[in-house]
Amino acid sequence: MNLFWLLVHKDLRAELRRPEAVVSMVFFGFLLLVLLNVALPPGARLAPESAAGVLWVAISFAAVLGLGKTMSREKDNRCIDGLLLSPVSAETLFAAKLTANFALIAASELSIVPLFFVLYGDTFFRAPAVLAGVIILATGGMAATGTLFSALTAGTTRNEALLPLLFYPIVMPLLAITVKVTGMIFQGEPLAQYVSWLYVMGAYALIFTGAGMLLMRPVLRQ
Amino acid sequence: MPERIRDNLAIATAWGLFALAISLVFFYAPTEKVMGVIQKIFYVHLGSALAAALSFSTAFIAGIAYLTKRQRRWDRLGAASIEVGMVFTTLVLITGSLWGRPVWNTWWTWDPRLTTSLILWFIYGAYLILRAAVPQPDKRATYCAVMAIIGFIDVPVVFLSARLWRTIHPVVIRAGSIDMAPAMIVALVASLAAFSLLWLILLRQRIKALELDERLFSLEQRLDGDMP
Repeated sequence: MNLFWLLVHKDLRAELRRPEAVVSMVFFGFLLLVLLNVALPPGARLAPESAAGVLWVAISFAAVLGLGKTMSREKDNRCIDGLLLSPVSAETLFAAKLTANFALIAASELSIVPLFFVLYGDTFFRAPAVLAGVIILATGGMAATGTLFSALTAGTTRNEALLPLLFYPIVMPLLAITVKVTGMIFQGEPLAQYVSWLYVMGAYALIFTGAGMLLMRPVLRQ
Repeated sequence: MPERIRDNLAIATAWGLFALAISLVFFYAPTEKVMGVIQKIFYVHLGSALAAALSFSTAFIAGIAYLTKRQRRWDRLGAASIEVGMVFTTLVLITGSLWGRPVWNTWWTWDPRLTTSLILWFIYGAYLILRAAVPQPDKRATYCAVMAIIGFIDVPVVFLSARLWRTIHPVVIRAGSIDMAPAMIVALVASLAAFSLLWLILLRQRIKALELDERLFSLEQRLDGDMP
């Protein structure tokens, strides 16, 4: 457990010293929020579900940007060899990377989500506690999938360019559910309407955390 | 029985089965009352869907087997089945689209089954891209096994999520609710058998081709003096 916090601490401190990941994530997310606006006819207001789609496209694109960073940073100075030599199990390493990635994505969301409400209208701002829960669940799922795949793509010749190609097909169902649920929140529907989908989102995060724990060892051994 | 004769026998049987299935489909099974002759595409559609499902389950099992046993033949089986599965998934999507245009009056609708097949196509397409991006054989085998396992785990979530992706098009009728005459079922069974055999043959040929690829690779390395 101590090793786990040590690793998380290391990753987050590296990020704090030189916040290259979070800054580019927030910048890219903001850029996407503006860019996606071109799909809107002038003066029109988005339907709740479309607005939710805009928000999650921005967040997930920003997330991919950050997910590649935590692993490629290990590769740069061959730090990964040091990590593998240290008495850290693959499971601990996966859990630590997952936590660091979760923190990075969450940090970028802290800016992207408020910017979204500013740009697309605060009439969508309803039930903040439920929205926060949905964001946490979706971020957990994305971080779990992305952590495993970033370990994988770090070992390929094409590196980070490959990550979105592997990442999106797998998280597509999670994103679809998230967008639907977020749209319902924006519309002000009661929690009972979509609470069962929150379980599916939680299940996704748990399944992929479990799968990542199991599959990290063979991936790292290569 | 020597390998070549066995393979040729299988190929000849597949020709025969396809001839039988096609004649059953066109001359024995009745023409559907509402959809007419376009319904016949269903026999190809379901046959390809079966082959695709076989492929992805095989790749999942081969992926687990490779990670536990570390034998290269499991990697070849997994890679071959995903390659073949991609072909059949593409066929499923195309035949479904051709059928959907006259019957549903649209090439595409975000129906759960359609969406699921499309996402599967993307997942396994990503597998093939990943495969091409890793030159080292052992590493490639491990990564691909992981991808095949993850992709298969995702299937139930994909299907669940597809149910709410978009509201289902009102005129959509699921394939399962088509009532079938007994003669149609006979034709369907024949075409399913034909497609399963075709799947096996293609799988076997791809495995052999991958085997040759690997032998060529190691010969090249020996020529370069990389390996003793």
